[in-house]
Amino acid sequence: MNLDNDLKRALRRESPAPGFAGRVLERIERAEETRRKPAWWRAAAASVTLAALLGGYATHKVAEHRRGERAKEQVLAAMRIAGEKVRIAQDEVRAIGSHD
Amino acid sequence: MTAIVPEAIDFPAPLTRAQAGDHDAFAEIIEQHEDMVYSLAYHFFGDRSRSEELAQDVFLQLYRNLGTIESDSHLLFWLRQVTTRRCIDLARRSRLKAVPLEDVELRAVEKHADPLLDRRLKQLVEELPEVQKAVVTLRYQEDLDPSEICRIVGMPVNTVKSHLHRALQSLRRKLEKHS
Repeated sequence: MNLDNDLKRALRRESPAPGFAGRVLERIERAEETRRKPAWWRAAAASVTLAALLGGYATHKVAEHRRGERAKEQVLAAMRIAGEKVRIAQDEVRAIGSHD
Repeated sequence: MTAIVPEAIDFPAPLTRAQAGDHDAFAEIIEQHEDMVYSLAYHFFGDRSRSEELAQDVFLQLYRNLGTIESDSHLLFWLRQVTTRRCIDLARRSRLKAVPLEDVELRAVEKHADPLLDRRLKQLVEELPEVQKAVVTLRYQEDLDPSEICRIVGMPVNTVKSHLHRALQSLRRKLEKHS
């Protein structure tokens, strides 16, 4: 066995799948296409993205605010009902006291 | 009597034309070097699709750096260096495990060739540590001397010799164990 010769044979050059150069050139074309897009196009794309992000954030904030308002109204209603019950109980206690 | 000799047309080399923006000339450069770039990656990873992607990346990088290439020999050196370093970086980043060669064709090669030994050797080379693998591939695929390999991998020549020695020892040991 001659390892040097065996390695040279085992590691001989191989070819990529046919059409390799074409695939590289396509990638170059695509990269250049992106680079060629005018500045206004990139600015417009950035604006649309920003608007979408801000819109989403605003919607989230409004929904959060509405949930807070609803919770506040529920607490106030509960307090009103509890106050009413306490007043009725006080009236009844007072009525019992006046009979004595 | 005078003979009329046609004037030699000085046609610029593909490198010069590619540097001037000629895509056909760049395609010629790719076709000239694709086997070398692809094979360096293939003998490193043993995976055809990964090797194709890496080779494409190398030529894309070459396209962006065409202006810095000074000559055909510089181009060859640049391609070998960028490919080898990309292979080492990618292997280190992802700590890829060597995968079995998925489609090694056991075709009849030259006389005295042993396809099973070839396949076994390829697998053993893939299992070597990254730098040893790069050094062995450059030595045997590209037929380079340690003094040329050291410029590509950016290491002192004695370090390259030591990597090569250790790699060959390891390959011999594993082959003997296997047989």
